[in-house]
Amino acid sequence: MVEIIATAESVEQAKSLIAAGVDILYIGEKRFGLRLPASFSYEEIKEITDFAHKEQKQVRIAVNAIMHNEHLQDVVPYLQFLLEIGVDAVVVGDPGVVHLMKKNDIAIPFVYDAQTLVTNSTQINFWAKRGATAAVLARELTKPELEEIAEKSNVPVEILVYGATCIHQSKRPLVKNYFGFVGAEEDTGKDRGLFISEPKNKDTHYSIYEDEHGTHIFATNDVNLMTVLGELKEMGIAQWKLDGIFVKGETFVKIAELFVKAKEAVTENRWTDALRDELQEQLVQLHPQERGLDKGFYVKNPTDIQ
Amino acid sequence: MRTITKKPEVLAPAGTLEKLKVAIHYGADAVYIGGNAYGLRSRAGNFTFDEMREGVRFANERGAKVYVAANMVAHEGDTKGAGDYFRTLRDIGIHAVIVSDPALIEICATEAPGLPIHLSTQASATNYETLNFWKEEGLERVVLAREVSMEEIREMKRNTDIEIETFIHGAMCISYSGRCVLSNHMSHRDANRGGCSQSCRWKYDLFEMDLPGNRKSLLGGDPEEDFSMSAVDMSMIRHIPDLVEAGVDSLKIEGRMKSIHYVSTVASVYRQAIDAYCADPDNYEFNQAWEDELWKVAQRELATGFYYGIPDENQQLFGKKRKIPAYTFIGQVLDYDPETEIATIEQRNNFGVGDEIEFYGPDYTHLNQTIEEMWDEEGNPIDRAPHPLMIVKMRVKHPVKRMDMMRKRK
Repeated sequence: MVEIIATAESVEQAKSLIAAGVDILYIGEKRFGLRLPASFSYEEIKEITDFAHKEQKQVRIAVNAIMHNEHLQDVVPYLQFLLEIGVDAVVVGDPGVVHLMKKNDIAIPFVYDAQTLVTNSTQINFWAKRGATAAVLARELTKPELEEIAEKSNVPVEILVYGATCIHQSKRPLVKNYFGFVGAEEDTGKDRGLFISEPKNKDTHYSIYEDEHGTHIFATNDVNLMTVLGELKEMGIAQWKLDGIFVKGETFVKIAELFVKAKEAVTENRWTDALRDELQEQLVQLHPQERGLDKGFYVKNPTDIQ
Repeated sequence: MRTITKKPEVLAPAGTLEKLKVAIHYGADAVYIGGNAYGLRSRAGNFTFDEMREGVRFANERGAKVYVAANMVAHEGDTKGAGDYFRTLRDIGIHAVIVSDPALIEICATEAPGLPIHLSTQASATNYETLNFWKEEGLERVVLAREVSMEEIREMKRNTDIEIETFIHGAMCISYSGRCVLSNHMSHRDANRGGCSQSCRWKYDLFEMDLPGNRKSLLGGDPEEDFSMSAVDMSMIRHIPDLVEAGVDSLKIEGRMKSIHYVSTVASVYRQAIDAYCADPDNYEFNQAWEDELWKVAQRELATGFYYGIPDENQQLFGKKRKIPAYTFIGQVLDYDPETEIATIEQRNNFGVGDEIEFYGPDYTHLNQTIEEMWDEEGNPIDRAPHPLMIVKMRVKHPVKRMDMMRKRK
């Protein structure tokens, strides 16, 4: 069964996404979750979880920050709260969190997500043996690699099918430091909409922003695997994530609707070239103009990457 | 008088067998090297099994250790043969492997039991519960992420008893190690498999954009400064007491690609400082000459990374480069005859009569002199030594020893 996972930026949008047919909501609190469209309070997380469960849908909570000592005390009550309200899974990248859940008997299923590091099935199976119920794949994987990972992994794997992809996280405030050097004072947060471009490729536009976890840089184009969803299904990659960090409100819900339509067609064997092209065209119309779209590493040749 | 008996290990990089021997000769307690597979320094000199055997023999005779880095983040197929590889390392007598991918950790633990495993800094371990996790998995040591502060290290030591290793000198990733794939995306070189093209150090435009093509650059400064993400290098030479008192088990020097000049200089400076502190911590005084010595092989400005706070713009390379008083490595002593006061030197860079040179050795001796006369191998007088590795004889008034180094100011 294919499942569509989507980020949410508000309680209202979360409800709209569920209404649009999204299977799993991916939300969290900014202190423990990385690169979320919005940070939710405990009350909001509970409200969304209750709503989703009423609709027979699921909620996964991002607890995938790179934790420092200072996070450890507070992450335990947070996890206990999540256990209490019955979230369906937490998404974890730091082995310290895995250790804490075991130590404190916090029996929430966890999805392993160490971002760029999740590149092979042996690693995924290592975490599966330690309780992971799924794993989020790195975005730097080519189609042949994905096929092999999907085949050999003992738990379902999740792939980003739409949205921005992070390619760099520094603990340093790199943009603030730059402005500090040139003597400027500027907002460096996510909503400011800053980009950087490569010296030899001026057309590139890598999103960059800062928050309490440091500086985050995203690939020049957002990922869009709409046209290869049939292939993903064939491979057995059935957890499809939509990341709306840079796509706001109703637009993101409409994009999610397109992927829900695609999923239904793919799973009911109604996936045709005509439908694929139609959905792709609608998606390109909805996608923010200043941001590009491509299939990322999916279409690269593994031997071209040294 | 208080002394410290449990000294931290000085761990030096060794890109080749020669560098391994030099590092240990110059005071390193341990070295880390790369094999022909599974590492991150595809371009550093990597060791064959035979070279590892010789390196381990050399180290064992001197009570030193040899670690092998196998810290790539593997893709499907990359781990093929890893079990055999780890077994061979174990049987050669390698003292530990440095690994980051749990896939390789598992292969090593199950297929080469008895070979100690150290978690690489690539795994970005930043808290004590992560350390406890890896301790329960049977690891011997964790190399901390470079984002951890001195205060956090102290707190870790109160909450875990796995060995802790930290970087104290050299170049640094500007990102959390392992969490940067700029190089993959910008130049198709996988940073987590040894291909990093150091994209962070490039010069970028920084801008806002509401519609395609409608960009507003935010670059500022006079002259205009490009956006960049280039970290200065790290040096903790001024903070040896903090590192020792925090209980760090191993102090790591970066640089498997660096020269024997670099390795010998840096290893011996830290050896001196740590020995001095541990011998008499209460009367220890920082010696400015140590830092001056490190500057002789520095490539960038030096700072303390995350040890004492989040690095600001002064810990990044912006603006005009400061001139670093670098020295050129010009030769290595092969032999010295005290009767005739003649030293035999193997040339490493051009030098000649009239040059002001400096000899230094592992016991931190420094001798300066001007070259007055020199001869080639056949005893013919020469003015210059222009050929790589040529053998030169010269008069040196103070005794020098085999493996002493010779340098001059650039």
